[in-house]
Amino acid sequence: MEVSVLNKAKKIKQPLSKKMILHKIRYRIFGYNILSGLASRIVSYVLLISISYVFLFPLLKMLSTSTMSPNDIINPEVDWIPEKLSFSNFITAYHVLQMPQTLFNSIWYSGVLAAFQTIVSALTGFAFARYEFRLKKFWFSMVLLSFIIPLPVVLIPRIMIFVSVQSSTGIQLIGTIIPQLVMAMFGQGVNSAILILIFYNFFRLIPPALDEAAHIDGASAFQVFWHIIVKLSIPSIVTVFLFAFVWNWNETYTTGTFLRGAIKLLPIQLSVFENVFANLAPAIPGQEGANRVNEAYRMAATLISMLPLLITYVFAQRQFIEGIENTGFKE
Amino acid sequence: MSKHAVKTGKGKRRRDNIRGYLFLSPWLLGFLMFTFFPLFYTFYLSFHNVKNTALGWELTPIGFENHITALLRNVEFTPALLSFILMALVYVPGIVIIAFILAILLNQKLKFRSFFRTIFFLPVIVLSGSVMHQLMDTGSTDIMFVDQIFIFSMVYNFSPFIARIIYILFENFTMLLWFTGIPIVLFINGLQKIDISLYEASQIDGASPWQSFWKITVPVIKPIALISTLYTIVQLGMFPINPVYSMIQEAIYNTAAGLGLASAYAYIYSLVIALMIGLAYLLLRNKEVVAPVVKYRTRG
Repeated sequence: MEVSVLNKAKKIKQPLSKKMILHKIRYRIFGYNILSGLASRIVSYVLLISISYVFLFPLLKMLSTSTMSPNDIINPEVDWIPEKLSFSNFITAYHVLQMPQTLFNSIWYSGVLAAFQTIVSALTGFAFARYEFRLKKFWFSMVLLSFIIPLPVVLIPRIMIFVSVQSSTGIQLIGTIIPQLVMAMFGQGVNSAILILIFYNFFRLIPPALDEAAHIDGASAFQVFWHIIVKLSIPSIVTVFLFAFVWNWNETYTTGTFLRGAIKLLPIQLSVFENVFANLAPAIPGQEGANRVNEAYRMAATLISMLPLLITYVFAQRQFIEGIENTGFKE
Repeated sequence: MSKHAVKTGKGKRRRDNIRGYLFLSPWLLGFLMFTFFPLFYTFYLSFHNVKNTALGWELTPIGFENHITALLRNVEFTPALLSFILMALVYVPGIVIIAFILAILLNQKLKFRSFFRTIFFLPVIVLSGSVMHQLMDTGSTDIMFVDQIFIFSMVYNFSPFIARIIYILFENFTMLLWFTGIPIVLFINGLQKIDISLYEASQIDGASPWQSFWKITVPVIKPIALISTLYTIVQLGMFPINPVYSMIQEAIYNTAAGLGLASAYAYIYSLVIALMIGLAYLLLRNKEVVAPVVKYRTRG
């Protein structure tokens, strides 16, 4: 009873003085903080929406160009919306990219590398998160250093190593997955340092009392790692695998150098799209539109090659963003 | 071993040592072989003429020949390097500052907050060198033509150098934004760790929002800005907007000039990157300790 009376008493409006009303309006619009008023809120939305537009501009442009017929592309009046939707570009691009095969190649190639990278990063992250060993700080800074070193510096001796092994053993290495597989197995794949950091920060959140208890029950270090740490870290394992997969997929520098086109992968096939297209399509000399027509094909091809990653992102965007949040990057 | 699993003092330290190195060993071996050794070997190679013969790699010492060729004789390398340096000096601060502003915007209680964040992070996933190449090459990134805007010609008459910087900044403005994905997430993460009561306290003490921004937000965010800067420098290098990488790749394929020249390219480039990182560190390090300001997540 008493409570309801109190509530009623609170609801009775007190007459506001003019000054207070003005103050209240000011507060509503500008807020006490730079970012809490209505005015800044509107500015924020306008900024965010316009920046989102700039972010998405190339993708929207790609979407629109890829559905244009040759006439629409030459027509200066057609800016965004084609007069007639044409999907024949996708069929052409699909063939030029040698599609189902390159897609499967890219999936297994990135998948295998990502799986090994995930395993090694987990082992390394576990070592740093759980054990106090000699030179730990030094090796940890070396993990970070390995991220900063420009790729070409380490790439040249890496090529020499694999070429020497290939010529002395006679086993074909260049043009196969083996060089990159070996590097992934030993923790030197694409952005390995970030993957290690994600695991490191995640493992540190698992209470050490859990492994102490398992040790008392007679579990070995590896059993602890497998039965406790791995089982508790499934979400971060998924995140790391997804990142490793995407990064291996998008990586063309090392991959291009070691594969030399022997296995056709989607991003590499996209980078030579113009050449392959020129070889396949009969050359038509003196036709002005020829080069412009190419654009629709190229955008269709770009869209096709992006699609698997876009789908992955739609389903796993939370894992991706939280994964980067978990790197924490603490000194 | 498992019988004496839980030990204290010296025994624990020795056990930790062995187990630590056991788990670290795959990475450690790989690091020594594929990163640490190459780092020095490339330097050594840059002073040699490297040829691949039937007997293996043949090295002939030639002194500074490769470096001279890279910097003076080759007419493409130095201009490419200089244009990369200028681009990086404009892009890196631009990317980090824009990422910071976007992070502040996204750190409010807004509707569709996660929707915007999803858009801003998208390029991290879909952007590869070849996608970027196709988009730029077909003109899909040309959102505006800076040199056709009236103000630009005014600036150009005033100072061609400033005009050049503005041109670089806005020529591929979308590309610049596309590099902000990871820095935005890092900045938001950092901003959320700042204790809000600090702002309230400073407000009671009469600080203006501007003052509390510079005295509370900026010092906490500086280490994150440093990390974002390093990340951006590394990322920028790996995309086709950097002409140096593709020159090095061509040099690797070019068997006549050999890997020695490629090594010289790679080392000169790395030196530039190291200088940039050093500069970023000098600008963004915190001179005084601000540890009590940050509310660290509690760990188990």
